[in-house]
Amino acid sequence: MSYLVEMKNIWKSFGRVVALKGVDFAVGHTEVVGLLGDNGAGKSTLVKVLVGYYQPDKGEIYFEGRPVKFNSPRDAREHGIETVYQDLALVNLMPLWRNFFLGREIVRGFGPFRYLDKKKMRKIAREALSDIGISVRSVDDTVAFLSGGERQAVAIARAYHFGAKLLILDEPTAALSVGETKRVLEHILEAKKRGISVVLISHNIYHVYEVADRLVILERGEKIGDYKREEVTPKQVMELIAAAAGVK
Amino acid sequence: MTKEKVILESLRIKEFGAIVGVAIFLVMFSLLSNRFLTAENLFNTLTMAAELGIISIGVAMLIISGEFDLSVGSVFAVAPMVFATMINANLNPYFSLLAALLVCVGIGVVNGTVTLKTGIPSFITTLGMMMFWRGILLAVTGGFPIILSRRVDMLQYLGGRVVGGLRYSAIWFLILAFVFWIVLEKTRFGNWVFATGGNPGAARALGISTDRVKLTNFIFSSVLAGFSGLTTFARFRLVDPTFGQELELEAIASAVMGGTLLTGGYGSVVGASIGAFMISMVRNGLVLAGAPAYWYRAFIGVILIVAAVINARIRKKVAG
Repeated sequence: MSYLVEMKNIWKSFGRVVALKGVDFAVGHTEVVGLLGDNGAGKSTLVKVLVGYYQPDKGEIYFEGRPVKFNSPRDAREHGIETVYQDLALVNLMPLWRNFFLGREIVRGFGPFRYLDKKKMRKIAREALSDIGISVRSVDDTVAFLSGGERQAVAIARAYHFGAKLLILDEPTAALSVGETKRVLEHILEAKKRGISVVLISHNIYHVYEVADRLVILERGEKIGDYKREEVTPKQVMELIAAAAGVK
Repeated sequence: MTKEKVILESLRIKEFGAIVGVAIFLVMFSLLSNRFLTAENLFNTLTMAAELGIISIGVAMLIISGEFDLSVGSVFAVAPMVFATMINANLNPYFSLLAALLVCVGIGVVNGTVTLKTGIPSFITTLGMMMFWRGILLAVTGGFPIILSRRVDMLQYLGGRVVGGLRYSAIWFLILAFVFWIVLEKTRFGNWVFATGGNPGAARALGISTDRVKLTNFIFSSVLAGFSGLTTFARFRLVDPTFGQELELEAIASAVMGGTLLTGGYGSVVGASIGAFMISMVRNGLVLAGAPAYWYRAFIGVILIVAAVINARIRKKVAG
């Protein structure tokens, strides 16, 4: 089976703390992978190594079958890996359309006379948002007025628009209401339908279980489980995590 | 459009509070003195506003990106001091001007680099630089002013008279306010400035080099302060080592009156310019109204606080 992303034997330490101890992690094409584990298990570190935020001490990363080395998150984005961080996705005081295009603004003109093409960006943002099913009064509204779920949706819509192949969601359902959680999970399934692979980092096994094709469990920098959804029940996964934590 | 919608759309204009403020004072001082609302006096006010306004533009840019510059008052004196010393040493005026501005670039680079590399707050870095350069100015001059020893035609275009009370410095002020309005509102860099101040983590995650954005703004702030000092020098043809003291605080006041959020991520250079104009107008209006000059500061202090409260309310309503 060929993978979209394959990370092999990844090691990463910070000073004397070894955060990742030879982790193998792979995501298939149009696959939703839930990444689970207790606090400090290494979930975020693994993902940050994947997107070029950190460089691994050892190990290889393959994207679409080719070895890659991302020097920055920007690098990873250019390859089609979009990450939606919980607090780091959007800038609250900025209008929606500015957020949507942040770092990838559309400009007109040339040389020092390149101006933002506001009209075009507003139009695209409006269309992209209604496409994903969120209705906003105006794309000139700031993000501060959106609910937590809507923010996730904006970030996901942005990822679609810029042609993401892999979407990484960091705790997307933390601090969301039940109804909003449901909608975010629907967005994940929608992404899969569009041919996008998703990595879903979460504490909440039930949320992950609803949408994931595969569950990967990390504990203290090691992979302690990698199951197809059908192979396990949420209860078993929880027991596994608790048992691993108990070993400490 | 419904009435509410009209109100909301007006409040969305970031300079709304400052514009209303100017309108109120315009009416108030016109009623208090019949010499206030004349072209001559308004040109005068604009010229007086230019000195502070040019500084406020850079200071506002920097605050929006999440940093402070308290050294602008000192830089305001350093630039003309370098310029005057070189002119008096018979060097070419254009070369001297360039050198003076390059010194400002250097100060901006130091402000930015020290702040960004060490992680200490820019409030401290630039406070240190403010003291350092003021000390250097006093030490080098022994506390005496430096007077221009020869005629320099170029100065006419920096701060000379255009017509009546209108000076070139006012023209520069308007041009710079326009240019930086474009930069902040209509370019990619401007978008990054807002993001850098609003949520630096998000900006970095989206591939924006927040350090480069901030460093650029430190340089803008310093160079604009130096340029403002040069236009003022062009008016007086002398520079005193105490030149520009407390201007850094007035520049911050202008930015805040113009709707800029002190914690970054929100604001306007046009607003800061209007804020500077308002301060100049109050100073001028109070004198014409016959109030003792001492009242001016007290008045500005009250306006600053009232403006900050109103702007915060408006921002809550339109930007969350």
